[in-house]
Amino acid sequence: MPPLAFRATVLERRDYGCASEVIFRVGDGFSPLPGQFVHILCGGGGRIIRRPFSVFRHEGGIASVLVREVGGGTAWLRRRRRGDELDILGPLGRGFDLTGGGEHVLLAGGIGVAPLAYLGRRLTERGGKVTLLWGMEKGTEYGSLPESLGEEFDLHIATADGSRGKEGTVLELLSPEMTPGTHLFYACGPRSMLVALTERLSTAGLPSLQVSVEERMACGLGACRGCTVPAVEHPGGYLAACRDGPVFRAEELDWKRMMESI
Amino acid sequence: MEADDGIDLRVELAGISLKNPFLVCSGTFGNGREMSELVDLNALGGLMTKAVTLEPCPGNPPPRLWETPSGMLNSIGLENKGLERFLAEDLPWLSRFDVPVWVNVAGFSAREYVEWAEAVSRSGLAAAVELNISCPNVEKGGAFFSRRPREAAELVARVREVVDIPLFVKLPPLPGAMRETALAVAEAGADGLSLINTLPAMAVDVERCRPRLGNVTGGLSGPAIHPVAVHAVWEASGAVDLPVIGMGGIWSCSDAVEMLMAGAAAVAVGTLNLVDPRAVPRLAEELAGFMRWKGYRRVPDMVGLLRRRGWG
Ligand SMILES: Cc1cc2nc3c(=O)[nH]c(=O)nc-3n(C[C@H](O)[C@H](O)[C@H](O)COP(=O)(O)OP(=O)(O)OC[C@H]3O[C@@H](n4cnc5c(N)ncnc54)[C@H](O)[C@@H]3O)c2cc1C
Ligand SMILES: Cc1cc2nc3c(=O)[nH]c(=O)nc-3n(C[C@H](O)[C@H](O)[C@H](O)COP(=O)(O)O)c2cc1C
Ligand code: FES
Repeated sequence: MPPLAFRATVLERRDYGCASEVIFRVGDGFSPLPGQFVHILCGGGGRIIRRPFSVFRHEGGIASVLVREVGGGTAWLRRRRRGDELDILGPLGRGFDLTGGGEHVLLAGGIGVAPLAYLGRRLTERGGKVTLLWGMEKGTEYGSLPESLGEEFDLHIATADGSRGKEGTVLELLSPEMTPGTHLFYACGPRSMLVALTERLSTAGLPSLQVSVEERMACGLGACRGCTVPAVEHPGGYLAACRDGPVFRAEELDWKRMMESI
Repeated sequence: MEADDGIDLRVELAGISLKNPFLVCSGTFGNGREMSELVDLNALGGLMTKAVTLEPCPGNPPPRLWETPSGMLNSIGLENKGLERFLAEDLPWLSRFDVPVWVNVAGFSAREYVEWAEAVSRSGLAAAVELNISCPNVEKGGAFFSRRPREAAELVARVREVVDIPLFVKLPPLPGAMRETALAVAEAGADGLSLINTLPAMAVDVERCRPRLGNVTGGLSGPAIHPVAVHAVWEASGAVDLPVIGMGGIWSCSDAVEMLMAGAAAVAVGTLNLVDPRAVPRLAEELAGFMRWKGYRRVPDMVGLLRRRGWG
């Protein structure tokens, strides 16, 4: 669907440790695919550029984003209250391709869980078998969100400090039977995690992997070319994360150059 | 267009008719396609294309953006598909709309500028050439010419010979050298000036001790540079009798009126398009309201009004 520019009324906010789910009303025409994002104006104070957030939930006339506070814009957004208005552009970008059959393994690093939870819901509705693997710094980081997602999904957690689930990164949660032949992989998280995952799956496994990348963005529409990621096609060339992505087939990206900018 | 109450937003620039005095700045509107999903291109006063170079150009390494207080740094680095595809795909597509197109021409050498500007003129699809001799993101060709008034004038004269459409020259702010450079390019045959391009700038990630931009340095745009742009327009319009398109941090109707009063014949919205693709129609409507309120009937009534009122 073409993007909409609209104002949305905040209906509710749920706090989960370092993050908050900001729930708002949307019109009938708003129908985001998993992996698509909304571009939100996050207050004044010298902040002029919109901030991108993946759609975390969408049902009927209600949608939400899961916001982790990392700076001024996210601090502003996660403090919105019922009745506040948001200035939104979206949905934007290319979402996940849901058409593949087989078992689905979703790998989230930190706040990367936001688009994957929404993806997981859609895949489950289509009758897919979904396993959600989620890596975080420490067990209490996201408040009660793990319990809440645990009710929806077959959820496995890894923590860097070992305080919950397996110790280590989300990759520790991949079991030997999760192979590119039988499983489809979807990942969102820090670039270092995505690079490690491509190494783990090796070249032969890349066709079974889709990744959602994070790049700083301005327009979110593909017009400014500010959000580019290195592409395999046209050596030395780039794709726009906001329009060609943020979801890419792992084979489309030049992982060697992706690694250079960690 | 002329409204019932006699407010007339139309302007004429070097013989080109604009519906309203708001253009969109080069590089902040793509070549119109992406933005057309959200805004009617027919509502723009004019459109300045993204810089196009003779050969395709991959652009600078990411990251290419960094936000600063009320500003934005970019180091896109002229990423574009090259002349051939621009002429075959983008320019014909744009010509379907009722909007004059300024083609932003960039090059890495004088020869490239000349060859390319001639091709644009010959296409018959552009209203004007905007000669970009001020891009801070490429070494040669960019800032090189704008820092050297004599070389700039020579280049303008060579391009002038090969183009049959109005030639606008885009300059960066040149503290202390604005008047001299404006005079030099005017004498060389420019039909108008575009002021200003971004300011050379950089930012550092002190946690990791590395530049915020992959290209190390970039160009600053947005509200932070607006007063600098107003000053550049003021200086240049005082020195030469050419239409000046004022740009730099226009975020509101009054920012635009400031430019007009300082001497700009029209204005262009840049970084704001990246936040609000519908900024131009919105600001045009606000301008009509402002004119009604203050009793200005035509845009030229405001152009250069500061000087006409005895300032400077
Ligand atoms: C497609 C996409 C989807 C996203 N989805 C979510 C989401 O669902 N939930 C969520 O909490 N965050 C998400 N992000 C990241 C979010 O956009 C940034 O955290 C936010 O823009 C930071 O704004 P700020 O003003 O709080 O921080 P700033 O003060 O601008 O920056 C603080 C820190 O965040 C980094 N940062 C700034 N902008 C971005 C960006 N666009 N991407 C990555 N890092 C950035 C900066 O480098 C800096 O280190 C997403 C980003 C993208 C590109
Ligand atoms: C992302 C971006 C890309 C730009 N690309 C070009 C370009 O290709 N050619 C050019 O002459 N100016 C380019 N500019 C400069 C703008 O056209 C304009 O002169 C400048 O940004 C000042 O206006 P603003 O503050 O309203 O953005 C670019 C600016 C931005 C922000
Ligand atoms: S943010 Fe402008 S092209 Fe992606």
